[in-house]
Amino acid sequence: MKKLLLGLTSALALSSAAMAEAPEEVTIGYLNLVNAQLVTKSLGLVQKHMPGVEINYIKVGGGGDMLRAIAADQIDFGGLGNPPTAIGVARGLPIKGTMVLNMLDYVEAMVVRTEEDIQSFADLRGKTIAAPFGSTTHYLLLQALANEGIDPASMKILDLRPNDIALAWSRGDIDAAWFWEPNLNKTVSDGGNIFMTSGIMEKRGYPTWDVGVVMNEFADKYPDYVEKFIAAECEGIEYWISNPAETAVIIAEELELSLEDATRMMRGTEMVPCEKQLTAQYMGTEAAAGGFVDTLIATSDFLVSQERLPESPSREVFEDFLVSTWLENVVAE
Amino acid sequence: MSESSSFAQHVKARFWMRSSLLSLTTVVFMFAAWEFVTATGLANKLFLPAPEAVWKAFIKAATKGYQGNTLQTHVGISLLRILAAFFAAIIVGVPLGILMGLSKDARSLLNPIIEFYRPLPPLGLYTLLVMWLGIGEESKFALLFLAGLPGIIITTTQAIWNIEPIYARAAQALGAKRWDLVRHVYLPAAGPTILAGMRLSLGFIYTVLVAAEIVAATAGIGWMIWDAAKFLLSDVVIMGLIVLGLTGVALDMAMRQIGHWLMPWEAQLRN
Repeated sequence: MKKLLLGLTSALALSSAAMAEAPEEVTIGYLNLVNAQLVTKSLGLVQKHMPGVEINYIKVGGGGDMLRAIAADQIDFGGLGNPPTAIGVARGLPIKGTMVLNMLDYVEAMVVRTEEDIQSFADLRGKTIAAPFGSTTHYLLLQALANEGIDPASMKILDLRPNDIALAWSRGDIDAAWFWEPNLNKTVSDGGNIFMTSGIMEKRGYPTWDVGVVMNEFADKYPDYVEKFIAAECEGIEYWISNPAETAVIIAEELELSLEDATRMMRGTEMVPCEKQLTAQYMGTEAAAGGFVDTLIATSDFLVSQERLPESPSREVFEDFLVSTWLENVVAE
Repeated sequence: MSESSSFAQHVKARFWMRSSLLSLTTVVFMFAAWEFVTATGLANKLFLPAPEAVWKAFIKAATKGYQGNTLQTHVGISLLRILAAFFAAIIVGVPLGILMGLSKDARSLLNPIIEFYRPLPPLGLYTLLVMWLGIGEESKFALLFLAGLPGIIITTTQAIWNIEPIYARAAQALGAKRWDLVRHVYLPAAGPTILAGMRLSLGFIYTVLVAAEIVAATAGIGWMIWDAAKFLLSDVVIMGLIVLGLTGVALDMAMRQIGHWLMPWEAQLRN
């Protein structure tokens, strides 16, 4: 019933939106990682879909910073990994999930210092490990340790941002780190090797991904512009899939990488075509919510067990958060 | 004589009562306003939780702890960092300030350094400190120390500079050596201003505490606030800020008390 009402109100909003004015400017917070948002940005696709609107891009280091930007109402569109999404939804941030930005494979991975000879999670005891707290990789690190029955207190886990991790690594201050490209590569080429990837953790039942979010206020005011945004990102994803060589050039340029590095990092990120996002594994449809809801529930339950969240929201809360209607409309067009 | 002094004491006590009452009114009013906006739903609970929620967060952190350490440990570690940096700033800053107050050449030599780094934003400076000193305690100490140092140097220099030269000349006429001058003339005369500078400098150190504990700390009240903000636990954030503020007030009061003990003449002058 609730869903139906929501659908009705958004349908009403949609019809009235045809008359609504366009926003003067749109601010997009994008995560500093390797995905098709860089293509969309570089090709000016959002601009193409929203003529006459000023588009601002803000680069955000990680999920924690993105949550702050959302709480402070500094962006209209953003992107969040599943742990920060669970945190934001549980804490009642006024956002809705719109689409899958990317599935995380080995673009996020745990690097260990080769000379330390770390072969298993147990070998991490007594070592210093860094991860950006509250992010996808911090979540996977704690999840992996919990699975192996290793007490996180037996090692020193530090909260560092990706660029600080690269810095601390080059100084020799840390022995291992679970984080993401483009900074990940700097550590691998500086005496490190990959011990675990987020893709392997996905096969073990712990998928991590980034979802596009929109501020409720913006979505209520300009629902057709949410669709325009999604259409632009879908075009970026299509471009990524059908023009890998050109995409690598764009990624290399945007992140100041060599073409070779950009190509490899691209393979570590899985882009999901927009029509596929509506299947049961991902967003699902408004009528039948997909697997992302289950991931969010599992993630928030885990965060509660880590005392990072006071309590887990109900399934309905997550179902309400993920809105497939806009994506369905875009795919239908 | 004794009558008039008891009258003065009476007036002083009345005055003290009045100022305490006024301060208390401000505190009560702020609490009432906080309670009102949260109870009536005027404030978003996510950004401003009710006083009860903050109190609960306090009890939980004090008894069960926050992420592996009790509140007491977090406060203790931060106070250790603050005081270590503060004392280092005093040990370095006061002699440098005296030197700069007495010698124009010393002032000309050192001023460029102090005047240049003093207005730099701490976070900008911190990036460099982390590169040089790593993510451990050294860079945190350096940041807090550098935040506290200029205040002490500048006020000490000013204080020495403002001393009537006649005091020094009189003491010299009575046979005082250079060290005697520092101990018996300069320090006592400049003491109250130096103490004011120290209190200012402690305030500066407090302002950069959270910044210092952002990078790779696992404990400390500033880290707790930063970490809780990442998980949008605003009750913990507000609780942490109140605790941090109270420790600051307590330290400041302690310093004023120490000032009274070391420089009793200053209090007498005001009466």
